[in-house]
Amino acid sequence: MRVARELVIEAAPEALWRLLWDVPRMAACVPGCAEAHELAPHQTYRAHMTQKVGPISLSVALIVEILAAEPPWHLALSASGRDPVVSADIAMRVTLDCAPDGTGTRLHIGAEGQVLGKLGALGHGVIQRKAEETVDEFGRRLARMARS
Amino acid sequence: MPATPTPSSSSIAFTVNGHRHALEVPTHALLLDVLRDRLDLKGAKRSCDMQVCGACTVLVGDAPVSACSYLAVEADGRELLTVEGLGTPDAMHPLQQAFVDHGAVQCGFCTSGMLLSAKALLDEQPRPTEADVLHHLRGNLCRCTGYRKIVDAILACAAQSGSAA
Amino acid sequence: MLRPFTLYRPSTLSEAGALLREHREDATLYAGGTELLLLMKEGLVRPHVLVDVKHVAGLGEVVAADGAIRIGATASHRTVERSAAVQAHCPLVAGVARHVANARVRAAGTVGGNLAFADPHSDLATLFLVFEARIDLRGPDGEREVPLDAFVLGPYETARRGDEILSAVRLRSWPVGAAGAYLKFGLYERPTLGVAAVLVPDAEGRRVSEARLAIGCIGPRPQRLRALEHHLRGAPLEELAAGRADVASAEIDRIDAVTDLHGSADYKLEMAQVFTRRALRVAAARAAHHVIDARYPYTVVV
Repeated sequence: MRVARELVIEAAPEALWRLLWDVPRMAACVPGCAEAHELAPHQTYRAHMTQKVGPISLSVALIVEILAAEPPWHLALSASGRDPVVSADIAMRVTLDCAPDGTGTRLHIGAEGQVLGKLGALGHGVIQRKAEETVDEFGRRLARMARS
Repeated sequence: MPATPTPSSSSIAFTVNGHRHALEVPTHALLLDVLRDRLDLKGAKRSCDMQVCGACTVLVGDAPVSACSYLAVEADGRELLTVEGLGTPDAMHPLQQAFVDHGAVQCGFCTSGMLLSAKALLDEQPRPTEADVLHHLRGNLCRCTGYRKIVDAILACAAQSGSAA
Repeated sequence: MLRPFTLYRPSTLSEAGALLREHREDATLYAGGTELLLLMKEGLVRPHVLVDVKHVAGLGEVVAADGAIRIGATASHRTVERSAAVQAHCPLVAGVARHVANARVRAAGTVGGNLAFADPHSDLATLFLVFEARIDLRGPDGEREVPLDAFVLGPYETARRGDEILSAVRLRSWPVGAAGAYLKFGLYERPTLGVAAVLVPDAEGRRVSEARLAIGCIGPRPQRLRALEHHLRGAPLEELAAGRADVASAEIDRIDAVTDLHGSADYKLEMAQVFTRRALRVAAARAAHHVIDARYPYTVVV
């Protein structure tokens, strides 16, 4: 699936960049993210995600690897993991690109990847929609958190 | 009075092909497995395992059922018909005879399901049109025959019998 | 093989509700099991408790009352297909029930289960929109009613809370003289596209006084095409029946379709335009009392 979103955050790029590395606060922005731990600073993280797709519950331990970091403009990461209960394999790449927008930051979120396994029985459309909802909610929560 | 749960294992009794069976089955047992593994009735086949192909079709009462997706406990007290109850090699059901006469069997994997679906149709509609037959067979897939001879066999059987097959 | 579970067979809705409250996330409602057992076989859902509502007295009744049809949740598609009340008051519903999935699914599967599962390819969820359907939900605090277009929220998502039970769907009969059609198109077990059209002729029987159009399968949930319905008011039935009227819909182009095995998003939207035109053609011909035998490839015309 593939999602691209753009939004304006009311914080300067440097402030937003600091927020992006605040693991507990970032975890709170990601819908369904129950906990997040740093395994290697600015390199590897572990996060636990739960999502509900109709009657099906997904619960995945994700390993997040930082692929590229160019402060304060560009961050790329990969997230992968598996839910053995529903046999779902998730592999995602997420990019966050920041540009100044007045006193704030224009943030471009790109997410692409796949959810393989039995969950695919629900149809690609459901997974795509779920991904879009998740990114939209992430954007909303991030914007709110940056304002406060 | 609060509902009491069905225990993890249940005693059920049903009639299959005229014979009464009393069995102890797990609550989560599927009818197809009970028929094939406990009663040695191998006519119904597990194929798609998701109610699409019809190879596991059996009749519960007058209704066609996907045995792969039907709890065995739901058959308690019911009358079931499998292909073994339709006829024997020496005394074939008119539908079976029609299938043989019309060359409607190739690998045979879909055949038991086709026969039982056809029986359910003819019991209700002794003189179906071709459109009726095609409609009722919509959930029975065949990879070999292209369906033509199966349809011909069913229509021929209906034409011959004149009343419920 | 299924994983083991405990099966309860409550005889009243109250008992069923109490079981849901007691077991919460561990329990799921069960009737025909045509979707549930498949999900359980795949391991996608793993309930420890099944609450079988097939033995709740009266839950499967189909009755006509006050210009409406009330279909109980555990009524099978087969029951609806054969119901004298449905055939008399909303024959299109009986016709569509006849074409749901296959004969085995129709014998076991229930209307309530179909609507509560909210498969985006559900025929009934689309069709019932043109019958101004309302869903009855029974919860711990009593009954509430939700219009169908507020009940289905998205793919496999409804407004039913975990402790609520869908008890019935109520359909309003059409005004006198109204005629409709349901067209479903596709090559697979689940339809690629479903369109329901109803036209109510004016007093002279020449023009459209009211139109209802619903499209399903291609977007996140079925929807009415309100702008096109409005646009069709006053349209001559003969023009629609001859396929000469302009029924292109900008609303269709805004449907959030996704590219998948059923086709690209563009293809689905294009087919939605084509089949809306066809559904209106059939409905208009019927409203004008023409005999019409419309046939299209891979399409069921009800």
